[in-house]
Order: sequence, then structure tokens, then C-alpha cells
Amino acid sequence: MSNMEQAAPRSLIFERLGGGKAMWITTAVMVVILAVLPFILPNRFYIRLVNEIMIYGLLAMSLDVLLGYTGLLSFMHNAYLGLGAYATGLFMIHIWPESIWVAMLVGTVFTMAVALPVGWVQVRTGGLAFALLTLAFGMMFYTVAWKWYDLTGGDDGLMGLPQPDITLFGLKLASSGNSTAIYLFTLAILLICFVFTWRVIHSPLGAVLEAIRENEERASFVGINVRRYKLIGWMLACGLAGTAGSIYILYRGYTGPGVMGAFEGAGVLMMVLLGGMGTLWGPFIGAALFIVLKDQLSSWTQDWEIFIGAIVILLVLFLPKGVAGVPALFNRQSGGED
Amino acid sequence: MSTTILTTQDLSRAFGGVLAVNLVNLEVRDKMVQSVIGPNGAGKTTLINVITGRLAASGGKVLYLEKDITSRAVHHRVKMGISRTFQITSIFMGLSVWENVRIAVQSHLGGSLRILSARPSLGSVNDKTEAILKRVGLYKLAERPANLLAHGDQRVLEVAISLASDPKVLFLDEPAAGMSPAETDQVSELIADLGTEMAVVLVEHDMEVVMKISHHIIVLHQGGVIARGTPREIASNQEVKDAYLGGDDWAPLSNV
Ligand SMILES: Nc1ncnc2c1ncn2[C@@H]1O[C@H](COP(=O)(O)OP(=O)(O)OP(=O)(O)O)[C@@H](O)[C@H]1O
Ligand SMILES: [Mg+2]
Repeated sequence: MSNMEQAAPRSLIFERLGGGKAMWITTAVMVVILAVLPFILPNRFYIRLVNEIMIYGLLAMSLDVLLGYTGLLSFMHNAYLGLGAYATGLFMIHIWPESIWVAMLVGTVFTMAVALPVGWVQVRTGGLAFALLTLAFGMMFYTVAWKWYDLTGGDDGLMGLPQPDITLFGLKLASSGNSTAIYLFTLAILLICFVFTWRVIHSPLGAVLEAIRENEERASFVGINVRRYKLIGWMLACGLAGTAGSIYILYRGYTGPGVMGAFEGAGVLMMVLLGGMGTLWGPFIGAALFIVLKDQLSSWTQDWEIFIGAIVILLVLFLPKGVAGVPALFNRQSGGED
Repeated sequence: MSTTILTTQDLSRAFGGVLAVNLVNLEVRDKMVQSVIGPNGAGKTTLINVITGRLAASGGKVLYLEKDITSRAVHHRVKMGISRTFQITSIFMGLSVWENVRIAVQSHLGGSLRILSARPSLGSVNDKTEAILKRVGLYKLAERPANLLAHGDQRVLEVAISLASDPKVLFLDEPAAGMSPAETDQVSELIADLGTEMAVVLVEHDMEVVMKISHHIIVLHQGGVIARGTPREIASNQEVKDAYLGGDDWAPLSNV
């Protein structure tokens, strides 16, 4: 009896977060590995590669909130990463270069402020029309970033980003120009965003999003205001993408319109599908696969897109549920299912 | 006579030139099972669709508790107490039986915006979910994904989902379609029972069920009401027999 009473509070932390013990232990191990990586990997280049994987993993995870949990297809989610990057950069260059935190907040809030009216229009449609609108709005944002030379630097991109110190509660930690510092900063923000998103997805709100994904009509016939909750899912996904964009420009010290292009958007979709949608962690694996493949292939051939396309085709044919679907595949083969 | 919950006034719905529902006047009363019957294509499903907000009306009005709800959004009607099932099963296929009902109960009782709580923390939602599943006899299958349920159980699950919002009026579109005789018996018992608590509007082709559990029957033909009355009155109505099968030798009706 007393045994059970003692056991309860310990498992409670996992229950409150949602997800099993194994999942959180894996997460903790991953975070520790990622945290020590810059100190054991001598090559700066690989640190920056992992940093990029973390940022795109965050973006892909935010797309998974739409695709895997709400059932909405967004072709150019990277446009919202771009909005966050430009807003953060412009704010630091023209208004206040001192605080990385304020700049990130501005990037995220600006992205959400743009996403709100866009989402308001988009949720009034469904299915294919919704997806097409994401493409149309994304292309508009891309064009603005590309053509509004005076503001964005056009094709040249946004340059001359200041490098303020990273501070915490007034304590100076490091310069944001230091690649190890920005790497660890990325990891910290990523961890916060992941735990937050995981929590939200496994909350009653996440249940509403899943219901909409499963059957939109039935959802409205149990009294759910489908448009309203789609908009909430959209805002969550765009806010996270904006945050990813803020880190992106801090990490690169630069952004160009290229990150907002349709081709890049397709890449983010592939990351989600490769890793496995509807899992939140799958997209990180997808981002790692995609970025490592792209790096290896592009050092070997200029036409890396052809090969990455071929690999994606093979994976979609043989692993329709992405890497996250591999355990289920083994279960079936060993007779785990009826 | 029990109180009137819902009425329609000259309700109509056209598809192109076809009047699928043509000037229908209904009066749905509390604590009764009222059936809508008629041959294929008579407009029964369309009538339910217009009343529940799935389709817009082309003319006429829907009054619910004396309020005009003709152009209200679906989720508003559900919150007000109008619930339904579909002719083609509409459930959350990828979710467990428990979650199918739980999400419907959550939507009714609230808590959907508590983003920092765990789903199981909504205590009253769990209790109500359990009560509904026990009532319809699906509690034993609570863990099972809905897409792995037998057809009959999926139909019953949809009834369970539609009960989550504490409806005052419940529309059931051929709930027994495709069920075995044993399942049909069970579900008609459940419907009769629900009819003691709320207004039930039943569309059903199984005349044995209709004749057994209905208090009142409305007959639709080509979008219009051609007869209404008690099961006994309808069974002996010549116009109904003609419309239904074009003859008077229709077994289910002549048995009554
Ligand atoms: N969405 C639609 N678009 C066009 N015509 C429709 C639509 N829905 C129904 N109809 C037409 O309206 C008429 C009534 O159809 P409805 O489905 O309401 O009949 P029903 O009485 O439910 O028939 P059943 O017993 O076969 O279910 C039919 O002629 C049908 O073809
Ligand atoms: Mg029908």
C-alpha cells in the first residue's frame, strides 16, 4: 500500500508531461549528447551543421503541429521562419542591438502578428484550398523579402547584424558571435520549445486538434468550433517557426530571401515526412537526415537535389510512415499484430 | 402532450432543380421517438442535414426552443442541444473508442484551452465518458482503436459520441443499417430508452424497428410530407403503401 503511494508522485511528472518515461529519458540523453558535442567535436564545421539541424528540426516540428496533429498542409512553412529572421535582424540593426532576448521576442511576435490575418483567411477554406493559400501567401512574403531592396537588402540579404552578448538575468554568458555559445543557446531554446509543444499537444487542446485531423465534420458535430481551433494550431505552428527564424539569423549572422523560397518549403515538408509526422520528435530525425544528406551530396555533386529526390521517393515507398514508423514495421513482421 | 422542442416551417432545400426537401413542417416533441420514413431519395437525410446545419436551407425556417436557428453554425446548434449521427458512419477512426467519446464530452464540458494540463486531468470529463460508454455497452472496448471495431459497434459508438453533448433533440440517420438482427434489437432498445429522456428523430428503413419504437411517424415522398400519424395509422394508410412500393402488398407494413 505505502509502496504505491510512494510510486505515484514519481510517475506523475511523466504523466503530467504526457508521453512515456522512455521517451523523456531518450530526450534527456539526446540533450546531454548535443550539449557536450561542441567540446568533443574539434571541427567547427560539424558544430554548425548540427546547429542548423536543430533550427530546421524546430521548424519541421512546428510544421508537424499542423500536418501531423491538425491535418493541415502548409507548403511554405519556411516563409514564417523567414519572417522571424528578418524581423529579428531588422530590429537589431535599426532599433535595438543590445538584447538577444528582446530581439527574439520581437521576431516571434511579429511572425505571429503576420500569421494571424493570413490564418484567419486560410481557415475559412479546407483541404486543397488551404494548402494552395499557404503557397500563395508564402510566395508573396518571399517576393517582398526579395524585392523590397531598401528594407531587406533584396537579393544580397540582410547584413551587418550586431553581435550582442547573450545574457541571462543580467549575467553575461558569452558573445553571440561565438559559435559554441550560439549552439548552446539554440539547444536551450529548442529544448524549451520542444517541451512546451509536447505539453500542448498532449493537453486537452491537442485532443481537439487531433479530432479535427481525424474527422473535421464530426469535430464540428461534437460542438468544436473548427475554424477557431485550426487558427490556434496555425498560430502555434507559426509562432514556433518565427522563433526558429530568430535563432536562424543569430546563428548565421545573415539572412537572404532564399530561406523563404518554395523549394526550401518543400524541403521542410520532406523533413517531416522522412522523420514521421504526428510524433513531434520524428521531424528532428527527418531534419538530420535531410541536412546531412544534402551536405554529403552537395560536396560530391552540384545536382544534389536529384539524389535527395530519389532518396525521398525510395523512403516514401518503403517507409511510408517515416523513420518513426520503423518500430511498428518490426512489430508487424514478428507477428506483433493480428 | 409533451413540450415542443423543435419545429420547421415550410423548410425546403433544392439541388439544382430538384426539391429534395419541399415545404416540410415538422414538430419535434420532447421525450418521444418520432420516425421519418420514405423510399430511397425521399429527402430524409437532406431534411436532417438542413435542420442540423450541415446544409443551408433554400427556404423556410428551423425554430429551436422558439429561436430561429436556420442559419446558425453547426457547433452552435450542437452546443444548444441538437445532436446527430450520420447515414455513413462518421467517427474519429484513428482514435480509441475512449478518446472518441472523451473528446466529445470535453467539447461539451469545457477545458479545451487548458494547454498546460494533461488530458486525463479533466476529472468530470472522464466520469461522463465512462458513464456513456457503459450505457451503450462499449466500455469493455474503450482502449480499442475505432477503426478496428466491428461495423455494428462503430454505429453504436457514433450514438455514444452524439450523446456527449447532452442533446435535447437527437437525430439518428439509419442507426441500424448493416447491423445483425441481434445488434438491431440492442440498438432499438437503446433508442427507445433515449426516447424517454429526450426528443429522438429516427430515420430507419427497418420497418419492424420503426413500428415498434416510434410514437409518431412522418412519411416523406419526393421531398414532401404525404402522411403523419401513429404507427397504426401509417400502416393502414393507402397513400403510404402506394408511395413506398407502388402496391398494397408491402409485408412490413401489413404485419402491423
Ligand atoms: N449533395 C447533394 N447534391 C445533389 N443532390 C443531392 C445531394 N444530396 C441529396 N441529393 C438528392 O436529393 C434527393 C434526396 O436525397 P436524400 O439523401 O435526402 O434521400 P434519403 O431519403 O435520405 O434516401 P436514402 O433512403 O437512400 O438515404 C435525392 O434525389 C438525391 O439524389
Ligand atoms: Mg438517407
